[in-house]
Amino acid sequence: MDETAFAASAPLTLGVELELQLVRPHDFDLARDADELLRRLGKRKLPGAVKPEITESMVELNSSVHASALTLLDELETVRDAVVREAGVLNVRIAGGGSHPFHDWADRRIYPTERFMHVVERYGYLAKQFTVFGQHIHIGCPSGDAAVFLTHVLTRYVPHFIALSAASPFYQGEDTSFQSSRLTAVSAFPLAGHIPFVRDWAEFLEYFERMKGFGIVSSMKDFYWDIRPKPEYGTIEIRVCDTPLTVRRAALVAAYAQALAAWHLEERPLEPSPTTYTVNSFNRFEACRYGLRGTMVDPYLSRKTAIGEDILASMAKIAPYAARLGCGTLVHELAAGVRAGDSEAAWLRARHAARGSLADVVREACARWERGG
Amino acid sequence: MATEYLPRLPLAFSQAALFGALVIVGLAAGEALRRYASLPRITGYVLAGAALGPQALGLISDDMLFDLRPLVDLSVGLIVFELGFRLDFKWLRANRWLFVTAIGEALFSFLGIFAVLVAFGFRPVFAAMAAAIGTATSPATVMLVVHDLRAQGQITERLLLFTAVNSAFAYVLLTLLLPFLHFENQASWQQAFFHPLYLLWGSLVAGWLACILMLRLAAWLGKSEERQFILMVGMVVVTVGVAHALKLSVSLALLTLGMLARNLDRGYAVLPVHFGHGSQLFFVILFVLVGASLEFSAFSIAAAAPVAAYILLRFLGKGVALLGFGPFSGIRPGGAGLLALGLLPLSGSAVVMVRDTTLLYPAFGRELSAVVLSAVVIMELIGPLATQFALRRAREAHPDG
Repeated sequence: MDETAFAASAPLTLGVELELQLVRPHDFDLARDADELLRRLGKRKLPGAVKPEITESMVELNSSVHASALTLLDELETVRDAVVREAGVLNVRIAGGGSHPFHDWADRRIYPTERFMHVVERYGYLAKQFTVFGQHIHIGCPSGDAAVFLTHVLTRYVPHFIALSAASPFYQGEDTSFQSSRLTAVSAFPLAGHIPFVRDWAEFLEYFERMKGFGIVSSMKDFYWDIRPKPEYGTIEIRVCDTPLTVRRAALVAAYAQALAAWHLEERPLEPSPTTYTVNSFNRFEACRYGLRGTMVDPYLSRKTAIGEDILASMAKIAPYAARLGCGTLVHELAAGVRAGDSEAAWLRARHAARGSLADVVREACARWERGG
Repeated sequence: MATEYLPRLPLAFSQAALFGALVIVGLAAGEALRRYASLPRITGYVLAGAALGPQALGLISDDMLFDLRPLVDLSVGLIVFELGFRLDFKWLRANRWLFVTAIGEALFSFLGIFAVLVAFGFRPVFAAMAAAIGTATSPATVMLVVHDLRAQGQITERLLLFTAVNSAFAYVLLTLLLPFLHFENQASWQQAFFHPLYLLWGSLVAGWLACILMLRLAAWLGKSEERQFILMVGMVVVTVGVAHALKLSVSLALLTLGMLARNLDRGYAVLPVHFGHGSQLFFVILFVLVGASLEFSAFSIAAAAPVAAYILLRFLGKGVALLGFGPFSGIRPGGAGLLALGLLPLSGSAVVMVRDTTLLYPAFGRELSAVVLSAVVIMELIGPLATQFALRRAREAHPDG
């Protein structure tokens, strides 16, 4: 199949990928039982798919395609319960969160598939350090042009997605002082960053062919961008979120992305602007470092605002779209959390302060993922 | 008088110097075997011990072995404590077949050995004692090989779990068999009744009390790895000493301490233990001394058949149970066979158990220690290799391990 052909999908359909931590209960370090877990899950009939990821300490849940975040949530809960149950047989526990607080990256072992082995050969230690856990949100687009458009305008909201999902304050045994330390591991890759400022799908393909001609990339998969078009699914993929601590939160953030996309595709309140990319790394840093309390530069109004307030303002604007998509309650719930200043990174830090060790933090994160609250 | 500052010959070395020398010789032998023959380090320690021991070069004498006995107890104590700490009751509850497999594995190997020894004409009570000893996998060997290979995964976890269960099974069974041994020797019914009761409950209560104390202290000390490490080592040493002084089972008391420390710790006061380099030191000394204690003289042509049967039935018992029940507990195809191999190491402390029993009743020694001790010698050499092979084959050893 021609991977550059944009397989148009029903607009605004929704799907997520969640990378999960496999934890061994005797010391709450990462386990390496992905293979056994996948083998067991393979015998069960589950919606979507569960797949291996770069190291043996992680698995990735792929949801099926949904029109509504509510049905997505139902499905994620079903799959979560199945994964937790099968993992229990193997004495493995499951946790969300963007990073494992104290694992030693050198201990990680690569999941032996051809592609992952190639990644290790190419990127060396970066590959093992890439044992971080993200949520990717797919949104269906009617055409390649629409995908390029959405990729550009949604980049303004990258700090929103980071702040709403930030759940990786600890890394390699230390408090990083960041709300999301995970993205730093992603940024180390040479093809991380963002899409160039192309006007439409044709121009994007031209860029892709040029990069291919240079021998820099061989497929779309080689771009590790924050938001990228995914022609084979007919979607754009938002890749900046940490895996949240519950599937519920994952569905809430996905609902927000969906309603935001709906507003932009139908009303077109913003046109793509290169200024978005000028301020992007500053905004991204602020969101990773301070979360909801960070500041961001609004590239369209050329002024600074608090990320939390900016999120609430755009949630107000998208409310009718959220209602129409049937995820109004979910977006409300998310907004209430923002108003209260809740964040999962803060929850993890609070557990650490209360319990005194990072092993306790992992144990409680597992419990939270498993019970979903 | 000009030479008074010089030492007199022969030189008198302290225990500490002896201890250090044994560690270094063992270490070098282990490393050499590893490097040049790709054998487990443990085999090197055992061979070094055997070479230096009373039956070969004689640099380690029987007296020294006796003097160093507390060190062996301490090493075994640390190891079974750490093993007990890995035994998670929650896993057994979540996966009932795992429990069935663990008990089945212990029971089948016990029955297998018992039946074959009776068939060879040994008296049932002695056959049962020997079979009980054979049920246990050596915690020290398994833990050391796992540590050496930096093995991680399902087979490794199950190996440790089954070792913990079959060790507990063996200790309890041996204790329960004591009355029969007493009756066999026309001891009073009081002795037959109270001795096992004292031994079993005494060891459990000692472990339980130590655990309660340790949990309280850990909660008070807070989540500092350093302080908790010292607490644990201290607690283990004290419990070993107390169990020894009270003539209780050191292994059972320490296994209890470890298991309860994991499973009674509802407030999660205790941090995960990693004895790390510290325990490695004890591993070396333990296996050098085990090597030195090996009774090569126990070998005799006459005993060859029962020894071979003992080893074979032990393996078959474990293998049949694992193949039969294992798949229900989620062992992957091929995993059961590897586990049966991995569980081969026979407990070196079986030697100690046999000695203790023979002190009480010399008849046992004459009749059966030849079989058990010969099996120990053989398994001490084959066991580590089998475990290493199983873990490598299961692809659970670290590539650099």
